[in-house]
Amino acid sequence: MNSRLRALIRGEFVRLNRYNLFAASFVVSLFYVLMASFIDDAMVLGVMPFIFLLDSTMMTSLLVGATLFYEKKEHTVNSIMVTPASSDEYVTAKLVTSIATSLFTVVFVSLALYALKGVTYKYAHVIFAAVAVTSLHTMIGVRIAYSAKNFTSMLIGFMLYVTVFMFPSVLAMTGVIGPKLADFLVILPLETSANLMRAGFGPGVEPWKIVFGYLYITALTLLLYFFAVKPRFAEYMMREMGV
Amino acid sequence: MFKVDSLEYSYPGNAKKAVDKLSFEVKDGEIYGLLGPSGAGKSTTQKILIKLIKDYKGAITYKDKPLRAYDNSFYEDIGVSFEMPISFSKLTAMENLDFFRRLYKRTVDVEPLMKRVGLWDDRDRKAGEYSKGMKIRLNFVRALINGPKVLFLDEPTNGIDPLNARIMKDMILEFKQAGGTVFLASHIMSDVDQLCDRVGFIINGRIHEEDTPRNLKLKYGKKVVTVEYRENGLLKSSEFSMDALKGEDFAKMVREKQIETIHSGETTLEEIFIKVTGVALHEQQA
Ligand SMILES: Nc1ncnc2c1ncn2[C@@H]1O[C@H](COP(=O)(O)OP(=O)(O)O)[C@@H](O)[C@H]1O
Ligand SMILES: [Mg+2]
Repeated sequence: MNSRLRALIRGEFVRLNRYNLFAASFVVSLFYVLMASFIDDAMVLGVMPFIFLLDSTMMTSLLVGATLFYEKKEHTVNSIMVTPASSDEYVTAKLVTSIATSLFTVVFVSLALYALKGVTYKYAHVIFAAVAVTSLHTMIGVRIAYSAKNFTSMLIGFMLYVTVFMFPSVLAMTGVIGPKLADFLVILPLETSANLMRAGFGPGVEPWKIVFGYLYITALTLLLYFFAVKPRFAEYMMREMGV
Repeated sequence: MFKVDSLEYSYPGNAKKAVDKLSFEVKDGEIYGLLGPSGAGKSTTQKILIKLIKDYKGAITYKDKPLRAYDNSFYEDIGVSFEMPISFSKLTAMENLDFFRRLYKRTVDVEPLMKRVGLWDDRDRKAGEYSKGMKIRLNFVRALINGPKVLFLDEPTNGIDPLNARIMKDMILEFKQAGGTVFLASHIMSDVDQLCDRVGFIINGRIHEEDTPRNLKLKYGKKVVTVEYRENGLLKSSEFSMDALKGEDFAKMVREKQIETIHSGETTLEEIFIKVTGVALHEQQA
């Protein structure tokens, strides 16, 4: 890792801390633990995948969006872009920071649940899933923040994403879409993300869905980066350049 | 250092060109000033030169190589101070500087700089609690943090008090004496007058006049001397051409009248600026 990237990542952490975003994320983790502790031991393994899914998708997108939003508001992104740091390094730093934050939640919540209830699960699966899902949703968060005028419109953007991509999964769960057709739902990023998370909590997810899931999420992350995040970075900078 | 030839740029969704057939050169080791009213295109020109805006038309070279051919290592040699104060508001001044310092290969000690601009005692305060003037001074220190060879300063003294403006101007001159090159955009005459080796008057994205401040004053100034004197308790004034100073009339006046002021008629940059601007606007309307 080059020293600039290290410096950018370090900066991200310092700012997450100072802008109280890390604290916010920690409070959310405490809330997850609290929620899980009220749930029956038998049920908790069924709920955990959704808690981790929520964290790696929504919390990731919102945290990344919030940092971009602050940098936009304070015009610091312009300052960073007139240093030797490149936009690739800038986005990579966001990605690494998101992954670290998600993993922190996974580790913290898992430890707490083990201490409180003695539940264990396939940690390696959960960690891999968290890394993949968080990577994808970092890109989604960046992309939504590009076009958001303020924090509220960023939230709305994310809600829209969730609603549109969850809707078919809900139809499948309620039986409106038959099981044959439901297999095709793996092309929905949220459905596949959920499959990867569920795989860490017992059988029930077909192996092909897991293999497909990792390949698909990796491909989507790269596609988003190269076609939606990277090319529009300059345009995003332009629009915010009140300097 | 920088050669700019027929530069053209308009912002997306804005038909009017922000810079239009703009040509000038910033020579190695000089302070070049772009002087012009607000909206003239100074900041846009700076943003193009520092590679923040890339889709411009025209040719720009830096050290005889096209600007577009440079990668991000270009910025190792460049220091930028933007028009508006920029800092992470919830980080202290020192944390702000530290973040940026780590992004460069070469860095300088910030303590003497922070002391010089009078921010050392407030170094551990959050940048968001700084006054506008303090933030601008912090901007300036950040621009110097990598020991740049070229300094870009957009309205560097705008919003700071005269004493701190003086200190900053001294630092800019010292930067030049140490071999640095400066591009300065400003609408403040005195900055340009005191600092710049050459100045370009920019109006509506185009340079209408360019020379050293001294030559401009000579060119536009009237070659006359105005003498104010008191006669019977009344203030009066007479004008003499420069050639007439050796003559008897002037000598007689100096001998006999109670003189209060003598001014040679070189115009201020301000007057020249208003003249040039007026002509330019008139030409565009015609
Ligand atoms: N981000 C922007 N989007 C659209 N138009 C802009 C933007 N920034 C500046 N302009 C326009 O470009 C012109 C030049 O602006 P600018 O370079 O900021 O002038 P100056 O720095 O001399 O005051 C102005 O007409 C201004 O309205
Ligand atoms: Mg400006």
